[in-house]
Amino acid sequence: MRNSVNRPPTPDAVEHQEKEPTLQEIINIKLIESGEKERLMELLRERLVECGWKDDMKALCRAFVKKKGRSNVTVDDLVHVITPKGRASIPDSVKAELLQRIRAFLVQAAI
Amino acid sequence: MASNLNQHHHHHHHPRINGQISPPPCPHLADFLSRNGSKPFLALQDCLRSKPPGGRAAIRRDPSEVPRCVSCGDSSRPRLYACVACAAVSCHAAPSPSSSHAAAHAASYPGHEIAVDVDRAELFCCACRDQVYDRDFDAAVVLFLSTSSTTSSSSLVPASKPENLRKRRRVDYCPWSPDIQERILVGNGSSRLDCESDQKPWGLRGLNNLGNTCFMSSVLQALLHTPPLRNYFLSDRHNRYYCQQKNAKNDNNNARLCLACDMDAMFSAVFSVGHAPYSPAKFLYSWWQYSANWASYDQQDAHEFFISMLDGIHEKVAEKDRCKSHSQGHGDCCIAHRVFSGILRSDVMCMACGFTSTTYDPCVDISLDLEPHQGVSGKAGPAKNHHSCNGNTDSKSSSESCGISSLIGCLDRFTRPERLGADQKFFCQQCQVRQESLKQMSIRKLPLVSCFHIKRFEHSPIRKMSRKVDRYLQFPFSLDMTPYLSSSILRGRFGNRIFPFDGDDADGSNEMSSEFELFAVVTHTGKLDCGHYVTYLRLSNQWYKCDDSWITQVNENTVRAAQGYMMFYVQKMLYYKVSEKQVS
Repeated sequence: MRNSVNRPPTPDAVEHQEKEPTLQEIINIKLIESGEKERLMELLRERLVECGWKDDMKALCRAFVKKKGRSNVTVDDLVHVITPKGRASIPDSVKAELLQRIRAFLVQAAI
Repeated sequence: MASNLNQHHHHHHHPRINGQISPPPCPHLADFLSRNGSKPFLALQDCLRSKPPGGRAAIRRDPSEVPRCVSCGDSSRPRLYACVACAAVSCHAAPSPSSSHAAAHAASYPGHEIAVDVDRAELFCCACRDQVYDRDFDAAVVLFLSTSSTTSSSSLVPASKPENLRKRRRVDYCPWSPDIQERILVGNGSSRLDCESDQKPWGLRGLNNLGNTCFMSSVLQALLHTPPLRNYFLSDRHNRYYCQQKNAKNDNNNARLCLACDMDAMFSAVFSVGHAPYSPAKFLYSWWQYSANWASYDQQDAHEFFISMLDGIHEKVAEKDRCKSHSQGHGDCCIAHRVFSGILRSDVMCMACGFTSTTYDPCVDISLDLEPHQGVSGKAGPAKNHHSCNGNTDSKSSSESCGISSLIGCLDRFTRPERLGADQKFFCQQCQVRQESLKQMSIRKLPLVSCFHIKRFEHSPIRKMSRKVDRYLQFPFSLDMTPYLSSSILRGRFGNRIFPFDGDDADGSNEMSSEFELFAVVTHTGKLDCGHYVTYLRLSNQWYKCDDSWITQVNENTVRAAQGYMMFYVQKMLYYKVSEKQVS
């Protein structure tokens, strides 16, 4: 799992390969390798559109851009502004559905 | 004034995204481009992947790579960026500079500011902390995504060469208001239509019922007040006397029938002085002649009548003007299609190989399914809401998200990717077998007037009978069609790019033309085989109920509560508000 094969020198301050990967990391890698992560992302996108979350975020962004002026806003500013509200306003049903999907995946992948 | 000039200046130099002028590149991107020759992102292009066939673009050095931040080793961060100078992957988070390894990387290595989002294949400047765009890189991504999924000549992106973008020229819209000279000219050259002292708008009058003809009256009321159609006939663009003279020469007895002539006569009569109801007997007779199998006093479907009479106008006018070569899709053939005709795009993607076949179809209206009452099966979110709707559970937020259907909801469903399952497999040209596929509709070209037809008549194959669905449907008075355009749908698929997506190069990019205003609603009450049509008209922002020969003023809540069957929306810039009357 070496991650710098053809890579020019980069600030590899600490070598992480020696460390035992955490459970969270293992799950994440399994999700990516199986393609399940991509499917979950797609499902999440769909749900957030359906429940109006995306429209709400869009409205927040528009309001912010209007306030600050079109050329004085960066993507990071927007992310910063909407992140707290965005996190707080995801419906519980969406969270529950995703959690259930991840659980089912773990059972099936026998981790 | 100065800012105006400035904008004009920008137009010629910077391409647009979704009709917007894109900003000039940030100094870091400009610097990177100047140091890296003609193809600065060539190495990056070899790393483009799309995971499921037809999926989003991502950046991976080899297909199975799991990118992780070189500083903290984390692979689960939502935003991972690969430096385009040295390929180092770093994580990035917005709030504080200290939490971003990507920003730290950019700060300690000058010239390493530009990075690419590994999961979106979009460029980012870690110093400016903002998205940046490069036309050639974006073109490469779009080309990669579309060639990996489409090999036929009817490619997803017909104008895939970036050169097209540079050649493109646009004339800016500027509103016209007459100066003094023009005002005098207008005043002298025209006679004022005298509105009577009562408040009734011009041309608003009842249409007498000629025996179960409310299906016709309801549609005619909408058409009589369709702004571009009304302007066409009232400005004498189809003169019935001239048309008949011309036809007499042809001495073809069938050519005497012309629905457009009857429309012309009806417009003249309806927009004359007075408000007495009008009897469209001549029109009905002509239409009977045109479509003989309708010639009876039976009740008919308003939507079928609408389609039939547009066809009638098209056939007769296009025939006479000998421009059969104009296919309907161009919308140039006749006034009916110039006003109502749009183009639908349908993409069918093979789920096995990602091959996409695209077809374009002209349409004069959009028929929408009411959402099935049982909710969308297999989808947890909506299904849950429907329980509360039935009163089985005691959810708090029952009314807003449950049962109430809306036109927006119908349009969302209409343009949502739909899985064609095992029972309706589609032949994939690339696999050469029938495969499961994903179908998605979008609107390639919007018409001047959008007519939405709600499928309220439902056929049940089990009970072998049809019935009418009386469900309430919410519809907005102002409607933005941008999300349903092909360009928006493709943009969702390809990410944020500087690239002329389908329809961008036509009028689709003009944001103004995708905003619509409601001006007529045809409603139906009663059963499948017997019922009554009534039309609500919005003139000068006041609503009127047209019930055969009776016209009454109503408030907008009455309209909102009505059971819409056909909704007519006109492009906002063609919609006349209250100011319509005051030409002084």
